Amino acid sequence: MLQDYIPVLLQILVAGGLALAILILSWVLGRSAKTSQIKDSAYECGMLPVGEGQARFSVKFYLVAMLFVIFDIEVVFLYPWAVNFRSMIQSEAGMTMVWSMAGFVGILFIGYLYALRKGALDWKQ
Amino acid sequence: MVTLNEYLFLSALLFSIGLTGVMVRSNVIVIFMCLELMLSAANLSLVAFSRFGALNGVPVYSAQVLVFFIVTVAAAEVAVGLAIIVAMYRARRSTDVGDMVTMKN
Amino acid sequence: MPQALFYLFAAFAVLGAFGVIVNRNPVSSAFSLIGCFVSIAALFIGLNAYFIGTIQVLVYTGAIMVLFLFIIMLLDLRAEERRPLNLGAVLAGLGTGLTFLVMSSVVIGRFPEGGRGMPELKAVAGSDVHELGRVIFTDFNFPLQIIAVLLVSATVGVVVLCKKELH
Repeated sequence: MLQDYIPVLLQILVAGGLALAILILSWVLGRSAKTSQIKDSAYECGMLPVGEGQARFSVKFYLVAMLFVIFDIEVVFLYPWAVNFRSMIQSEAGMTMVWSMAGFVGILFIGYLYALRKGALDWKQ
Repeated sequence: MVTLNEYLFLSALLFSIGLTGVMVRSNVIVIFMCLELMLSAANLSLVAFSRFGALNGVPVYSAQVLVFFIVTVAAAEVAVGLAIIVAMYRARRSTDVGDMVTMKN
Repeated sequence: MPQALFYLFAAFAVLGAFGVIVNRNPVSSAFSLIGCFVSIAALFIGLNAYFIGTIQVLVYTGAIMVLFLFIIMLLDLRAEERRPLNLGAVLAGLGTGLTFLVMSSVVIGRFPEGGRGMPELKAVAGSDVHELGRVIFTDFNFPLQIIAVLLVSATVGVVVLCKKELH
């Protein structure tokens, strides 16, 4: 059973080894430059840089990210349902399963409609 | 051979690290991360019970379903909690619990 | 060999958890937490809970931690690094954490079933997703609908909290 994981181990080794090799190579091959505080500062047309270099995101991105997480969960529940669907639909529990997922998606659809009506997915405002 | 106790101890250790973090740190976001860590530690013990309590070679799937629900609730909690943190940051320009003292006096 | 893997991932998980509370930079904390979650997912897979391990990676590290990192980028969190540590909080936290650890270790140590190893599993034809799905959609129908209601209320909460003007 443990042998099944050898490909995973190989992939981890290759990915980590590649990153490590690139880092080491750039350190070995590259010449180290002379650095000073002035040389490392951002170049702004000869002016002294003001403020932070990190740009702030708009809150709009954030609302979309939140809604993504919530609907991501819905997909996580859809997956075992879809995997089981073919084998379950013939058994007597088949209709229970269909109705349970219909209720789940139906309730979540109300939330989706709410977000849509409130303009949460409108980008321009 | 790994025993059930080792899993439970690991779970307790992760939980107490999370508990310590909740009390030590003063940044709301890090406190929230520590809460997630505690939830995950609880999940670990649930999955361990599911595996070690296997009857007739079948793991206890109810425990795994419970873990599934806990993950779901955690995701919903994170979405709303972070929204509250952003609203709080907009009002106060800070995410430090020491600055949230409006109701103290 | 499985034992060695258990100790390896347990060590990674504990290291990651320590990283969360020790790092002063929230971004480093978030990355430590991602490492911790991935190790916990590996432990789940070691416990033959393949689907739960996948969910742990997909939902926790794929969605929740991305959201955390996103918020850290959104807000300006440089201030905390300059703030001095509150010694009383540190002592109280360590005391509480250690007390909890000692108490739960005592409880675990007296657990009579705890010393046994993993029982053998029957070889199943499909994956555990089949069994898990069957249990969710037959025995746990009502909790599933409750979860849907919870997700709807989370959607409403997020929209209300994030939108400046609703219409």
